[in-house]
Amino acid sequence: MLFKMIRGVLYHQRAKMLLIAFTIVLGTSLATGMLNVMWDVGDKVNQELKTYGANITVKPKDASLLTDIYDVGEGEQLSEAYLNEEDLPKLKTIFWAFNIVDFTPFLEADASLPDGTDAKIVGTWFNHHLSLPTGEELDAGIAGMRSWWDVTGGNWLDESEPSAASSVMVGTLLAEEKGWKIGDEITLAGSAKEMTATVAGIYDAGGDEDLEIYAPLDLVQALTDREGKVDRIEVSALTTPDNELAQRAAKNPSALSSRDYETWYCTAYVSAICYQIQEAIPNASAAAVRQVAESEGTILDKTQLLMLLITALSLIGAALGISNLVTASVMERSMEIGLLKAIGARDRSITFVIMVEILVTALIGGVAGYFLGFGFAQLIGQSVFGSAIEMKLKVIPIVAALITLVTLAGSLPAIRMVLRLRPAEVLHGGQ
Amino acid sequence: MTKRRMFLRMITASLLRRRSRMLIALLSIAVGATILSGLVTIYIDVPRQMGAQFRSYGANMILLPKEGTHMTAESLQEVLGVIPEAEIVGASPYRYVRLDMPSRQQSFITAGTEFSQVQKTSPYFSVEGAYPEKTREVLVGKEIAETLGIKTGSSIELHYKTSGTAGQGQAADAAAGETLTGSAEGFNKVIVTADLVLDEEGKIASVSVDAASQTPGIGSLVGTDRQFLDQFIGKKLPLSLSNTASGEDAADEDHVVDAVTGATISSQAAVDAMNNAVLSGEAAPVERAEQFTVTGILSTGGEEEGYVYMSLPDLEKLTADNAVDVAELSVTADAEVLEEYCRAVSEANPDVTARLVKRVTRSEASVLGKLQALVFLVTVVVLLLTMICVSTTMLAVVSERRREIGLRKALGAADNSIRKEFLGEGLFLGGLGGLIGAALGFGFAQVVSVNVFGSSISFQPLLLPVTVLVSMVIAAVSCQMPIKRAVAIDPAIVLKGE
Repeated sequence: MLFKMIRGVLYHQRAKMLLIAFTIVLGTSLATGMLNVMWDVGDKVNQELKTYGANITVKPKDASLLTDIYDVGEGEQLSEAYLNEEDLPKLKTIFWAFNIVDFTPFLEADASLPDGTDAKIVGTWFNHHLSLPTGEELDAGIAGMRSWWDVTGGNWLDESEPSAASSVMVGTLLAEEKGWKIGDEITLAGSAKEMTATVAGIYDAGGDEDLEIYAPLDLVQALTDREGKVDRIEVSALTTPDNELAQRAAKNPSALSSRDYETWYCTAYVSAICYQIQEAIPNASAAAVRQVAESEGTILDKTQLLMLLITALSLIGAALGISNLVTASVMERSMEIGLLKAIGARDRSITFVIMVEILVTALIGGVAGYFLGFGFAQLIGQSVFGSAIEMKLKVIPIVAALITLVTLAGSLPAIRMVLRLRPAEVLHGGQ
Repeated sequence: MTKRRMFLRMITASLLRRRSRMLIALLSIAVGATILSGLVTIYIDVPRQMGAQFRSYGANMILLPKEGTHMTAESLQEVLGVIPEAEIVGASPYRYVRLDMPSRQQSFITAGTEFSQVQKTSPYFSVEGAYPEKTREVLVGKEIAETLGIKTGSSIELHYKTSGTAGQGQAADAAAGETLTGSAEGFNKVIVTADLVLDEEGKIASVSVDAASQTPGIGSLVGTDRQFLDQFIGKKLPLSLSNTASGEDAADEDHVVDAVTGATISSQAAVDAMNNAVLSGEAAPVERAEQFTVTGILSTGGEEEGYVYMSLPDLEKLTADNAVDVAELSVTADAEVLEEYCRAVSEANPDVTARLVKRVTRSEASVLGKLQALVFLVTVVVLLLTMICVSTTMLAVVSERRREIGLRKALGAADNSIRKEFLGEGLFLGGLGGLIGAALGFGFAQVVSVNVFGSSISFQPLLLPVTVLVSMVIAAVSCQMPIKRAVAIDPAIVLKGE
């Protein structure tokens, strides 16, 4: 009988039920879409913030201040410390390997030019192809880490081409000063040997780099006889904004309690990633570039909080929208309820029948709304970030609970109010 | 009773009598209006607020003096006048000088700056201890602190030295006939000074030495012995003494002179003073020292960790000049506006070049653009869905009154007057709901702004009428369909309840 009644309502009053279902679809899709976007916005914005360049630099542990502060030029054979190029792939073996987006080594030297002047030459990877022992394939290099450079002439060096080994990129100011153009052959003399290289690209970096030459790492290593050596590594990693624990850990990880240590180690704090890099690469000291790391944290926190509040507003909006309509639709059925009461139905069974009707409608609307909402999330993800928004499973129970609660909250008080009315009055049409 | 009063009474009566239902409709519209005005306010304000957050990446513009010119803190202030004050987050002047720390035989780059501004332009500086507040206090980079074992509270002595070679360069550039002055330490570390004039070929035309401070009768002869002084005429800088020069130098007639017998040290001082000679009026080679207290250790993860930072006046005292090498500016504006400011700066002071820090401006433009697009899309989607929700609720509320419409039609009401009445009701609800929503929405936006960005939001006056209007339109539109249906139906059928 119950089944028949419900089917009857769903079928005969389908216009009204469709309206309720439609509203629930909209509300659910709003909630689903916003929750999915909210939980993914951190990762997406983090990815965008990578345009600011590396947030971690790795240097040899014993690298003294010599070259930096005391202006001691390389080649003066003071105890120079280096990292090994062959250790670089180890970056992708740390616990948070997946969060390491890009990295590139640097080796600096002074090269003498034929006109008697010196220029700083920096050896690096441009788009170095790596095949990791884990089977992962990856292109690492500065092409991805210097997004603000404008290549004003020629192109980025492409290391997959054989000619790249003897090509260099030149800063715009230096190229202007020397009158170099794309395709020019230049002679570079390092401490060990002299080489000729082709100018393959001219870049405008808007900084000191404009007076420098960027060359493939192998070239600079050969020029100065430092095979397999690297001065420093820049690493771009996705990180979690620092909190109080991370700050304590950054000072001294060994002072943490074992539980705190585990939490810290297994969270993508920049200090934890630095620590793991030091574990993986022998003789390395990794430090967060505060300008990038800290600002990233601020912006991520703010964006997430902003999205959280907007999501909260949309959830409240969706909830009120649904419960409003449910209340209205119950009140509209006062005549029907009065009739049921008049023929002797008990309050409980009336409530039960109406609730089941509405919940069945809500279920149908909710499922449809979930998928629609997921579609909205993808629309936002694709058009704003150009990548898909990850489907978060935790959204399903939250949305389900929200819709159930809202439908109940919308219908129960209304039903009780209608039930309180006397059947005669209701049927008579008075209010 | 006039027709208009009757109309008003019908609307108000229906609103009052059917309180609960109208309340639902009103609530629904108010929610929609709240979301509309709240989100739009946030959307309008987000670029400004987020832009301010991006200033945590530090300076996005730097000012440099053109080659051969000087910039001072005063000329900097003048230049800053062309940029609206409200948009300047901070402006830090920097002067870089290499200072020595003789006690450790080290020397480091020392930056003179204004710490109150540094905290604004470089909010990512992490200082263990405190920023210097008083004079003779410094901030030491972490790398220096670790290598030299310097701690907060340590006291360090820094020396500023100008070397004689700098003077030589200037002497070579000096025009013929100008008097050059130089000084050097003589016997017992007392100063000997020398004035000289060069001719067009760079040869010494005239010379005088003040050596009164030296041992009377021995060293002091350097300033009075004509034989010693005359031999300088026609020689070129740099000079050396015949008894100290060796090899080729000794044979170089143009640059070698003989010392006064028995007064080699004083003679050497006179020669050094001439070698050190610079245009008169310029600072002679000097060494100044000062004791500093370390108030904090700076860590940034960058090259700043190898620097020492002190206040500009302290550094001025050491170097005795007020030049500024570079100024870092943090301005809340997008790249285009910044470029305009760059041009304006160059116009205001042709000696100053303004450049954008491309890494910061470029990245900011791309990330901020994405964030803005995100908020925009979210706003559109939320608004769209909310507005449809509002209409469905209105639809339900109005549909319910089919019986009433039927009854009124049966009593002889014209379709038009029924339509008008319902429309009036809808518009009234829309207007009221819109007003409530506009207020609530602004409140929401304010809460968001204070919680997320820690600053209050500016009220958008235009948004109030827009919100009210949109709410009224939505209410009116969503009334249309059910009214039309109700009016079209035969009153008898409607009243019968089918």
